[in-house]
Amino acid sequence: MLAWFDANTATILNGLALGAVLFLIAVGLSLVFGTMDVLNLAHGAVSLMGAYVGVAMYGAAPTTGMFFLAMAIAAAVGFAAGGVLATMVSPVRNHLRQALLTLGMALIVAELLQEVFGPEVRSVPVPEFLSSTVSLMGNPYPVYRLAMVAAGIVVAVVLYIVLERTRAGAIVRATVADRAMVEAIGIRTKVVLALVFGGGAALAAVGGLLAAPILGAQPGLDDQILLLALVIVVIGGLGSLRGALLGALVVGQVQTIGVSVVNEFASFLLFAALAAVLLFRPQGLLPARKGAHV
Amino acid sequence: MSEIFFRGGRTARRTTAVMAGSLTLMMLTACGGGSLGNAEGDDGATGSTDTVTVGLAVPQSGVYAGLGEDMTQGFELYLEQADNKLSGYDIEVVSADTGEGPQTAIPAVSRLIQQEQADVVTGIVSSATALGLRDTFVQAEIPLIIANAGADDITAEPSPYIWRTSYTNSEVSGAIGKHVAEEVGDGSVYLIAADYAAGQEHVNGFKEQFEAAGGKVAGETFTPFGSTSDWQPYLSKIRSSGASAVFAFYAGSEAANFVQQYSTFGLAEEAQLYGNGFIVEGDVLQAQGEAALGIQTSLNYSPTIDSEVNNKFVEAYVAAYDEVPTVYAMQSYDAAAAIEAALEAADSVDGPGIAAALSEVGEFENSPRGSWSFNENHDPDQNYYLREVQEVDGKLSNVVLREIQD
Repeated sequence: MLAWFDANTATILNGLALGAVLFLIAVGLSLVFGTMDVLNLAHGAVSLMGAYVGVAMYGAAPTTGMFFLAMAIAAAVGFAAGGVLATMVSPVRNHLRQALLTLGMALIVAELLQEVFGPEVRSVPVPEFLSSTVSLMGNPYPVYRLAMVAAGIVVAVVLYIVLERTRAGAIVRATVADRAMVEAIGIRTKVVLALVFGGGAALAAVGGLLAAPILGAQPGLDDQILLLALVIVVIGGLGSLRGALLGALVVGQVQTIGVSVVNEFASFLLFAALAAVLLFRPQGLLPARKGAHV
Repeated sequence: MSEIFFRGGRTARRTTAVMAGSLTLMMLTACGGGSLGNAEGDDGATGSTDTVTVGLAVPQSGVYAGLGEDMTQGFELYLEQADNKLSGYDIEVVSADTGEGPQTAIPAVSRLIQQEQADVVTGIVSSATALGLRDTFVQAEIPLIIANAGADDITAEPSPYIWRTSYTNSEVSGAIGKHVAEEVGDGSVYLIAADYAAGQEHVNGFKEQFEAAGGKVAGETFTPFGSTSDWQPYLSKIRSSGASAVFAFYAGSEAANFVQQYSTFGLAEEAQLYGNGFIVEGDVLQAQGEAALGIQTSLNYSPTIDSEVNNKFVEAYVAAYDEVPTVYAMQSYDAAAAIEAALEAADSVDGPGIAAALSEVGEFENSPRGSWSFNENHDPDQNYYLREVQEVDGKLSNVVLREIQD
């Protein structure tokens, strides 16, 4: 058993790294769903926009400053895209119509990205200060993936604090719990919801940028990302931050250690996990509870 | 977090259903691709014998759009050089967008045959598309000259109407087998490929030649096609297998990601990477960057082949399109050459006439890839080249090391 862990440390760690970046992307989808009751199928496209920010800004390996600047720009682009989407879906209450509207936007955005950046696969280099490798059980392991784990932890902690411990977070939670009451005390809930939408989309774009050195940037990636994010949200439980975190970690491990152990079934593992959760715990592993707490 | 957010209960369950529906919807659209082909030239063929209508069926949308563009450019370059006249006939090109697979390609190509009344059709990137269309061409008695799709089955039973200027999957991968066996000596080789029909054919083709030359296989893995983005678990397996070299088949974005991760995880220093040319062909190579340096591949072409014909071809291609020709452009260029030769030999310029003439065209001596001819299966009988990724004048390039002798 111990020997098995020895041999698979890198793979487990890698599952964490993949899980961390998937968490960044999926949490926005889950929160927007939680606050606005909107299923945003343009989420993958927003994430791909983040990846293309990297393509547009990096020539060779970016310097530290460039890397953080790109993150800021990706966040801004994502936030703006989220704001536009929030405005568009706000009059639409029907879930199926929301899904069609956002899916339509996703197709348009994907086509525009292909027009601008071309149909070929583009690679995004790892920033210089993270481009080295460390030795892990005698095998080289890229530092960049460790940094992704760190980024995932930081975002999870910050989101938790913001939502649970700040006034802004309290307003968001109150908006979800009782929109009319929040309006009554003089807060425009439409603005609150647009901000949450923008924030979720910004996280998706940053997640897309951070994942780009591993996943690349090419047409079609948006669908792959959206699929993973939807699976994560369903596994974890709709609208829950803890659920998104757990779902992302599960999917990360399924996609790495799972395919390593039962390689012949690699194509089906992800959906097998999804089906198992839907069968035995259809509300997801950690669904949002009633009331307003994490 | 948020329970915050949550209403739970019935709404959540209903929404799960909507999500599941949306997933399905998404997967459907992902397979979509368009078939919005736009015809060049007038609708319908003229009945005149002085004009030959050539259908160019290439992907103009979807993941293979880049390949389609190369093929269009290669074909058009040949026509331009011939002043748009092949063997005295005016050539009218009508194009159709085949999209990503048979569901978009078949209606688009049927339009070429029925509405545009093409006398001969060329193009076809995807093997699934080629297999799906095979019978259509045979029944319509219109020759199809495949300029890329490599599935062995397409020409396993030769038809007078099905021809190919590209390669068969098992041959292009088998070509490097003997070389790898000689290089690794007592070591063993790990095989990894995308899990679909072509991946299997490439690996089997390689394995046959490699084992015939005395090579040992350390292990074999097929990765989910189109949904694998992280190769680390597989790379760990390769490392623990103790293989001294790796043979891989990937193309497009999978090739770019695989090669980069192969290098990132330090495997490039431990095990030489071999493949067929598609793992480092075209745009993919620039995306891979330095990670691709040193990879050795087999292919029927490289723009660095040093022959008079090829140098002229590369020069003209660069002048016209400002980029170096890919194997896809070359195969399409040669498809135009095959059409010209067939028109030269044809008794009548209709489907059956051109098809009959194709079996009499003999050797193509003026091809950028070197001299080749159609074999009894209507596949090219051609040379393969051993190529290595090197940096030449600051740009990555597939430099020809030598011709591969059988």
